[in-house]
Amino acid sequence: MSITNLLENWSDFRQQHPSDDRPHREYKWAMSIDLDACTGCNACSVACYAENNLPVVGKEKFAHGHSHHWIRIERYWDNDGREFADQGAQFLPMLCQHCEAAPCETVCPVGATNHTADGLNSQVYNRCVGSRYCNANCPYKARYFNWYDYPTTDNVWPEPMNQQLNPDVTVRGKGVMEKCTFCVQRLTVAKSDARSEGRSVLDGEVQTACQQVCPTGAISFGNLVDPLAKVGKQWMTQQVELNKDKQAKDTAEEAAKLRGYRILEELRTYPSVMYLEQLRESAI
Amino acid sequence: MYCFLRLSVLLVGLIVSASSYAANAVQPLTTADDLGPKVEQPIEFPHDRHAGDAAKGGMEINCMYCHTYARRSIVAGIPPLQKCIGCHQSIESVRETPRIKKLFEYWEAKKAVPWKKVHDLPDFVRFNHERHIQRFVFAQNKPVQEACGYCHGDVKTMTVARRQKPLSMGWCVSCHQKDHPVDATSTKTTHGPNDCWQCHK
Ligand code: SF4
Ligand code: SF4
Repeated sequence: MSITNLLENWSDFRQQHPSDDRPHREYKWAMSIDLDACTGCNACSVACYAENNLPVVGKEKFAHGHSHHWIRIERYWDNDGREFADQGAQFLPMLCQHCEAAPCETVCPVGATNHTADGLNSQVYNRCVGSRYCNANCPYKARYFNWYDYPTTDNVWPEPMNQQLNPDVTVRGKGVMEKCTFCVQRLTVAKSDARSEGRSVLDGEVQTACQQVCPTGAISFGNLVDPLAKVGKQWMTQQVELNKDKQAKDTAEEAAKLRGYRILEELRTYPSVMYLEQLRESAI
Repeated sequence: MYCFLRLSVLLVGLIVSASSYAANAVQPLTTADDLGPKVEQPIEFPHDRHAGDAAKGGMEINCMYCHTYARRSIVAGIPPLQKCIGCHQSIESVRETPRIKKLFEYWEAKKAVPWKKVHDLPDFVRFNHERHIQRFVFAQNKPVQEACGYCHGDVKTMTVARRQKPLSMGWCVSCHQKDHPVDATSTKTTHGPNDCWQCHK
């Protein structure tokens, strides 16, 4: 692709946050995570390692901030001024929020991170030059930089572990930024199968790896454009709207019982992941 | 003296780099000898005999007879040795030719023929045969050899296949930007997707 072509058709190559005149047409992938169900077991994180060829970096590099979990379980304690929290930790799985107006996209000097027509925040590894500007600009700290050539120099998949690498996902090299992809390799297969049969992807036909293993079913994933999708229904019951940065929950008094929220919405990144607040005894 | 030497080295360097730049600039995407590397296959497979036109002694076998997976999977697949033998055990006329003898040697040794990959894309590229075959052969009714030929060239005239097209990203995109009819009868056209994640992984 020539650079003139790229510049001339820039709007074609770089999808933007869809407004009313440019809505998502066939797919808008979204997720909802029920924090009431999440037990902090970390199964999602492990599944993501296995599905996406993530290198296990070890304690020392982890301590240096060179971790590679595309989904991490954050822990919060509600101490309320006391020395110990009486209800233990609250868990929150944090992954790339696939922001509609992603702050990471606008700052990439080479356009390696883009918005897809399906409403995903895409990261193209072989285009990334490793400026790490996106990482600096992501308010969710959901991006991970490859500091080492894990596959070769660090031999993180010694024989026979290399046999379990997923052939549908690249093994990323040194100097590349990576992050949760909503398991795009699975989405592509599902979309392709659906197209061969002349239909759209059905709800539940495709699962992300983290969703698939979650023992409590806390994670739901699906197509927001599909009126039958579970995720869409959840978003609707919670009155969370994709294109709004102020939800019913924040404004109306009587809406306080709504549990759905998106993280740091006031930054107007319009995330595609909705969390459902944990119900606590103290709150009832 | 030293200074002159340095200057001349600099000048030569400049000229060399300028001329190599010029050579790079005029290089077209495809040249006559841009056939990709010549791949030595264990058996020099005559695509022309199998898929070639009847008038030229070919048998006009459909590409998908051997590359069975092309229409239903991401990869086209290489036929198992059993498929070759399935036909060749009842074709007496060529039974003693060196190529077929070699074929039966593999068969008797119960070993697969170690065919080599000719159209090898980098690991970060996802190319889906099914999508293209469904689109052009089944929806648009294009002859199989024409549809396969968009990327593989005129294989029916080759013996061992060689890469004919650059298979670079620009080349893929140049086709994805064209409007192709959706099916054989309708006038509706669409172009291929240009979202990075469609092909990159
Ligand atoms: S969560 Fe971070 S990495 Fe993901 S789209 Fe938003 S800004 Fe980009
Ligand atoms: S959606 Fe896929 S890539 Fe993203 S955190 Fe879950 S398992 Fe990992």
